[in-house]
Amino acid sequence: MKKTGPVILGFLVGILMLVQYFTPNAWIEARYNNVLDWKQVVFGMTLILGVVSLFLYHWRKISRRQSGWGYSVVTIGGLLFMIFAALIWSPEAGPYRWMFDYVQAPMQATMFALLAFYVASASYRAFRARGFHAALLLTAGVIVMLGRVPLGELIGVRIGETHISLATISSWILDYPNLAAKRGVMIGVGLGMTATAIKIIVGIERTYLGRGA
Amino acid sequence: MADEGHSHRRSGRLIELLTNVDRRIIFLVIALAVALPLLFPLNLPVRPSREATAYFEALEALDPGDVIIFSFDYEPDTMAELDPMSLATLRHAFRKDLRVIALTNYPGGPGIALRNLEQAATEYGKQPGTDYVFLGYNPDYSATMLRMGESIQATFPTDHSQTPTAEIPLLQEANSYADIPLLVTVTASALAEYWIIWAGGKYGQKIITGNTAIQAVLIYPYYQTGQLAGFLGGLKGAAEYEKLLELPGTGILGMDAQSMAHLLIVLFILLGNVGFFLQRRAARNGGAN
Repeated sequence: MKKTGPVILGFLVGILMLVQYFTPNAWIEARYNNVLDWKQVVFGMTLILGVVSLFLYHWRKISRRQSGWGYSVVTIGGLLFMIFAALIWSPEAGPYRWMFDYVQAPMQATMFALLAFYVASASYRAFRARGFHAALLLTAGVIVMLGRVPLGELIGVRIGETHISLATISSWILDYPNLAAKRGVMIGVGLGMTATAIKIIVGIERTYLGRGA
Repeated sequence: MADEGHSHRRSGRLIELLTNVDRRIIFLVIALAVALPLLFPLNLPVRPSREATAYFEALEALDPGDVIIFSFDYEPDTMAELDPMSLATLRHAFRKDLRVIALTNYPGGPGIALRNLEQAATEYGKQPGTDYVFLGYNPDYSATMLRMGESIQATFPTDHSQTPTAEIPLLQEANSYADIPLLVTVTASALAEYWIIWAGGKYGQKIITGNTAIQAVLIYPYYQTGQLAGFLGGLKGAAEYEKLLELPGTGILGMDAQSMAHLLIVLFILLGNVGFFLQRRAARNGGAN
């Protein structure tokens, strides 16, 4: 029953979610809304689980004085401060909002902005035309990089009335080779997802029940 | 013989110079390439792409009083690229007297949403509750997107400031996708695709999206099939949209810096490859000797 119960439940919910897509039946629609509401509750609980797990992980690090425990103090301090600031004042104003606007947002934006420097350094060191395929990728990359900024509009040739710029070639690369590849991947992923969903509904795929299921 | 040795040493030094530029020099040059154009703009021309024009036209086609959904699906890490799109879109909406139902599918999104909404609303004298509402963050984006097709009030029993949504005038008029002619999502992730699949596929919701440049590449198929009415790709998309709106902002301001940074990265790549080919030739010649 420990294994059969979840498989039966999975089958019933799977069939319900499949059928509701094709019928306007009021009872099925109401059950569909129930499932969506429960899903949000379950997701909300996983967030709480995440916060508790994060707290316990860092608390253990601090109590055992493990390497880098000082960072854990900052993590727990920040976590508790934001929770209490939101509860005591409001998430829309006061210390919570101030911390978000002047600490969290600039720090996250700064970390992401550092990527520009690392991308420049890494592409200089690693992007080499070692063979035909690498050269093709390199050429397409260079054209798209320049074609996707205003500078790309200015670099090009005029053939008769038509101005063919790097922006034009970049658009062609995105519209045709890129789109064809992406569509192929999407169709493959879609078919894979459908197959996996059917296997879960009929109980062939049971890895979600844990090991040995 | 001595001349040949000297030539080899010189060639070796050149290869070393081309292939081993100190990363601190690269960092410094990139920093200057980004900072200088911001201080001394070059005013490179910005020409709107067809995708940005379609995005603009989708909003432009709406009538005053129409309600749109605006989903802030990003966190502060990508705000430099996406905030210009959000702000420009809200300015466009409020300029046209559209009403906005805003939400976010990221826990870090509410702060960004509030800042953009408050700025645009202040500029155009719009009031919360009647002209716009911010629903806040709801756990589980898939259930949120699907449930909103049935009832926004049931999906969000209260808004971000804990006001019951049943009491908000705007939500009494618009309570599902059926009442809303356009949905806008500005995102740094695959959420644009999920909106297209769930809100667009199941409920026929018309959608436009603003994306980071890296994400934009992935959504071309949806635009070609008409599942997406228009989109903005990266900071350039924001600049193009600002140009169409005739409201220059940080998108246009950032274009010179981005152009210079891209140009420099390309030059560094070419430099590295010249060094690589010289190195390969030297190795071949060395082997032949």
